[in-house]
Amino acid sequence: MSSPDEDEVPAIQTGPKGLINDWRKFKCEDQDTPPSKKELLRQMSNPQSDDIPDRLNRKMSVQEYEMIAEEDEKCLRKNQQQCMKEMHKRLSFGPKFDSVVELDSAEAFLEVIEKAHRLTLVIILIYEDGVKGCEALNSCLDCLATEYTSIKFCHIQTAATGAGERFSDNVLPTILVYKAGKLLGNFLSMTQHLSEEFFATDIEAFLREYGLLLEKEFAACPDEEDGGVEVE
Amino acid sequence: MGEMEELRKEADNLKDQITEARKVVQDTTLQEAVAGTTLVGRVQLKTRKTLRGHLAKIYAMHWGTDTNCSKLCVSASQDGKLIVWDTLTTNKVSAIPLKSSWVMTCAYAPSGNMVACGGLDNMCSIYNLKGKDGNVKVMRELAAHTGYLSCCRFLSDSEIITSSGDCTCVLWDIETGTEKTIFAGHLGDCMSLAVSPDFKMFISGACDFTAKLWDIREASCRQTFSGHESDINAIGFFPNGNAVITGSDDATCKLYDLRADQELITYQDSGIMCGVTSLAPSLSGRLLLAGYDDFNVNIWDMLKAERVGVLAGHDNRVSCIGVSSDGMACCTGSWDSFLKIWN
Repeated sequence: MSSPDEDEVPAIQTGPKGLINDWRKFKCEDQDTPPSKKELLRQMSNPQSDDIPDRLNRKMSVQEYEMIAEEDEKCLRKNQQQCMKEMHKRLSFGPKFDSVVELDSAEAFLEVIEKAHRLTLVIILIYEDGVKGCEALNSCLDCLATEYTSIKFCHIQTAATGAGERFSDNVLPTILVYKAGKLLGNFLSMTQHLSEEFFATDIEAFLREYGLLLEKEFAACPDEEDGGVEVE
Repeated sequence: MGEMEELRKEADNLKDQITEARKVVQDTTLQEAVAGTTLVGRVQLKTRKTLRGHLAKIYAMHWGTDTNCSKLCVSASQDGKLIVWDTLTTNKVSAIPLKSSWVMTCAYAPSGNMVACGGLDNMCSIYNLKGKDGNVKVMRELAAHTGYLSCCRFLSDSEIITSSGDCTCVLWDIETGTEKTIFAGHLGDCMSLAVSPDFKMFISGACDFTAKLWDIREASCRQTFSGHESDINAIGFFPNGNAVITGSDDATCKLYDLRADQELITYQDSGIMCGVTSLAPSLSGRLLLAGYDDFNVNIWDMLKAERVGVLAGHDNRVSCIGVSSDGMACCTGSWDSFLKIWN
């Protein structure tokens, strides 16, 4: 049984086909669906399946359209909450860390970026002692590293990068964000984005604004019948 | 059997003629034309607003178009609701409960008076936002498609075009609730459609790997674009109306020029292996935001065909995207029920 992070994420998740997949998954998990129909749903989910005659390019079968017509949506709400929880879990699965790692060379830098797990966000601070903002930012990252354990925080002094000329004092501190070997964010002179005095929560908010930190909350569970949305 | 052979020969002949005609007008390639252009710098967008209120995955969203509505948008969620948002204040202007939770698409009328949606119920439901007593009610239920409703776009308050899993697109008269024109020709489920800036044409992308340009009034297919190696899930017009952008399960986006009747360029990267399911060009057309099946959004420099950014980098949550009509912001919908406004 392969571990969750080894599992291929299901192929089609967005757009109309994503919805059709979600519907099939829902019907398969619904105990009211008869086994023969579940079998059909499984076959339709598999694009390679040859068991369905006259399939051609059609994405939904006649029998499935009939199933929709007879449907009722009682279990749907619970299923939706379950799906969101599972997605959260899948995306937070991966190695855990607890503190900022010091990188001492360009090779170490490259290695961290290339060897990190594909789901792990790598945040690297480039700093130099004595440059304004570096010490404060370092402590902020120490703080965030204990809270965001699935993110790999690192820091490296410009002298160690071997590219000292590129990181002159006026672009320090710099934060680089990588995932799966790709540069997602590049923030030179971080202090220009922050006020004179800043704290870990400010860095947290900044990274969240750029979509680089996971939003921790998700929609509350709708226990009430028609609850939820209020028009203001 | 002789007649079949004849017809087959004729079809091949015509195909050759088309290929020849396309070669003749191809005086240069896009790459050559932009050789002197500098690549757009790295694009990093910030979240400006978060729209909270849905309770499940967002499947679709669409921005309003009118000068009054350029800050409004409508979203459709698996929670069975359509919500109209004021993106400046993040207030919900309307929250519309739907009969079916399986809603694949939603649309905002250019006038701002109506919204529409549809999905596995095979119908396009039209809602009047400006009803007399302030309540939003179903105005029409356009039923005739024999397949799911993948996309719908208003031409005006009286006409709407829909695309369906039954392989056809239909132009409806909203007042009478009847089909005015059926655009048949695709050999696979129609997944997406877009209306030209002058409202005279529309394009459709389908699971037969082709995109078709249709003349609305003449009810005919003007051009067919092939080249994709899998289903076309998303389609859009280039802002000046002279080109078409497609997104496919083959993990690429393509740009086709209407006048040259051929593909100009493909947006692909060996690192991208999942399908494109939504796309939106920036107002100028220099950037293309493409949403992929793994919930990522890549930002492409449309001229240089290189990736210049990733939207919502770490999130892997984006299920749909849209650029506002005034080009000031883009909106993303997520599987975790939130919408975000970025620029």
